[in-house]
Amino acid sequence: MELPNTLSQDGESRGGVLAHLERLETQVSRSRKKLEEPQSAQAVESALGTRIHELRRLRDKLRAEVKHQARVKASTTNVEPDQTLEITEQEILKRKRENVKAILQAYRFTGISGKLTSRGVCVCISTAFEGNLLDSYFVDLVMQKPLQIHHHSIPVFIPLEEISAKYLQTNIQHFLFTLCEYLNAYSGRKYQADRLQSDFAAFLARPLQRNSLCNLLSFTYKAEPEGQSFPFCARLLYKDLTTTLPTDVTVTYQGTDALSTTREEQRAAHENLLFTKPLHQVFTSFARKGDKLDMSLVS
Amino acid sequence: MDETVSEFFRRTILKIPMTEMMTILKTWNFLSENQLQTVNFRQRKESLVQDLVLLCEENRASLNDAALLDIIYTQFHRHQKVWDVFQMSKGPGEDIDLFDMEQFKSSFKKILKRALKNVTVSFRDAEENAVWIRIAWGTQYRKPNQYKPAYVVYYSQTPYAFTSSSQLKSNLPLLGQALTIASKHHQIVKMDLRSRYLDSLKAIVFKQYNQTFETHNSTTPLQERSLGLDINMDSRIIHENKTEKERVQRVTQEIFGDYPQPRLEFAQYKLETKFKSDLNGGILTEREEPLRCLVKFSSPHLLEALKSLAPAGIADAPLSPLLTCIPNKGMNYFKIRDK
Repeated sequence: MELPNTLSQDGESRGGVLAHLERLETQVSRSRKKLEEPQSAQAVESALGTRIHELRRLRDKLRAEVKHQARVKASTTNVEPDQTLEITEQEILKRKRENVKAILQAYRFTGISGKLTSRGVCVCISTAFEGNLLDSYFVDLVMQKPLQIHHHSIPVFIPLEEISAKYLQTNIQHFLFTLCEYLNAYSGRKYQADRLQSDFAAFLARPLQRNSLCNLLSFTYKAEPEGQSFPFCARLLYKDLTTTLPTDVTVTYQGTDALSTTREEQRAAHENLLFTKPLHQVFTSFARKGDKLDMSLVS
Repeated sequence: MDETVSEFFRRTILKIPMTEMMTILKTWNFLSENQLQTVNFRQRKESLVQDLVLLCEENRASLNDAALLDIIYTQFHRHQKVWDVFQMSKGPGEDIDLFDMEQFKSSFKKILKRALKNVTVSFRDAEENAVWIRIAWGTQYRKPNQYKPAYVVYYSQTPYAFTSSSQLKSNLPLLGQALTIASKHHQIVKMDLRSRYLDSLKAIVFKQYNQTFETHNSTTPLQERSLGLDINMDSRIIHENKTEKERVQRVTQEIFGDYPQPRLEFAQYKLETKFKSDLNGGILTEREEPLRCLVKFSSPHLLEALKSLAPAGIADAPLSPLLTCIPNKGMNYFKIRDK
């Protein structure tokens, strides 16, 4: 199609664009006419139209049914409308869910609890001593053919590698219980050492000497709260890492005065006490009895 | 007080920044409250230092007191030193380790003094179960050099010791021997791990860096946490390649976890491998001998930088295991050879 070439400034391009648009318009009107003709297109259109009407009718019917049922329900229950009934059901479920959640959370008080993870299970060992809840330690296990520990929060001086080498693959229960034993004993020893250091610092000549596992404690102390000197030196060894009471106790007399019989009796009594009672309890008895040692504790 | 000791005091106190002066002196606990109150802390630093040294002389401070002050300064400025890690091992089936700190200290000191007459060894207990050891080395004929000491940090009943690498290399075997024997181990080996950040090194070898655990008590369920794509952003903005971005985030999270990464400044790879190339031909591909080269990654915080590589689009996820194994293996020095 020949285009009239109007040569104005920007007229050239404009003439070209307008002519182009004209062409497109004629094309559209031509194709529209083409579409209106075939029967199949018309048939499809009418079919779709009827389908729409059908669906609309169905929708209205269902809406009416729902409304009717709601009205029926409201009339039978002579209290408030169905709104509150739905809410109480929701509330019951919510409370049930919170209850279950609380029980799951409370499981840690049993000492060993766990939660399923995407790769296995995360076990939580909660330690305690004398009814006091102490630190919790975690072991994240991966459920694979050789069972593996993904990561954990067990202190580096607890023999985790040894225990896992022995029991992890063969007897997972034993693995967890042994680990539990070690950790609880460590927590208990640590608790006693911490209590002695913080609550009975006045009874000690200098800070308590300890190590990571709290299985060797050494201190110079006095048994009387008012006394000036610190006549006794104690050395506690915990050779069994699964216990919270020492396996070896040595109390020596450091006093400047000669070792009298009373002092010797005291020394022996202290040794015995430290063997049988937790460390901080021994010092509590010192604090309570003053300079008179209650022999009834030695039993 | 000896001239050299007095000079040592002067130089040690001079190192301390004015902002930390009071804190460090109080931690040192050698000069009493009253004595500290008599000093004018607003004067020029040189005069302040002079006054403090005079007070030390009054208290008849010894070399050990000065060494202690030096340890405290280093504890406050531990990042100024580069720390190496040594790993010790025991024989199989050893008895329970009844670690006695006093025994360890005296044994350690005795071993060093037996080998080298001229050596200054000082200790300072830290935390509940650790000890900082300061060693000033001398020779058979020379007094210890107090200005180039070595430091060792040891946690009782663990197989790891951290040493500052500023000392002469020749004394290293003796130091290792003293550590091993005093802590009742049999062998000591230097790990391929080095950093300025002592606490990060500790986190890596004690495996304390990944401390997030799933429990029923946690308040934020892991699934709900945003995958880095801001869900609250304007809904008119569409994320291109959303699935790919989510995959990258997921893979990164699986490898690096949600915890803060331990801090390292570099990773070094010594390659002794044959040259491999996609292009055929070329001079290097024809070489029979392995190509030796050194690749070093440096960063103020290497692991965080590596973690952000894939999400930033700079690298493909998952990253090479050579990069991601660093905290797990406890190494940031690698030697790679052809298999």
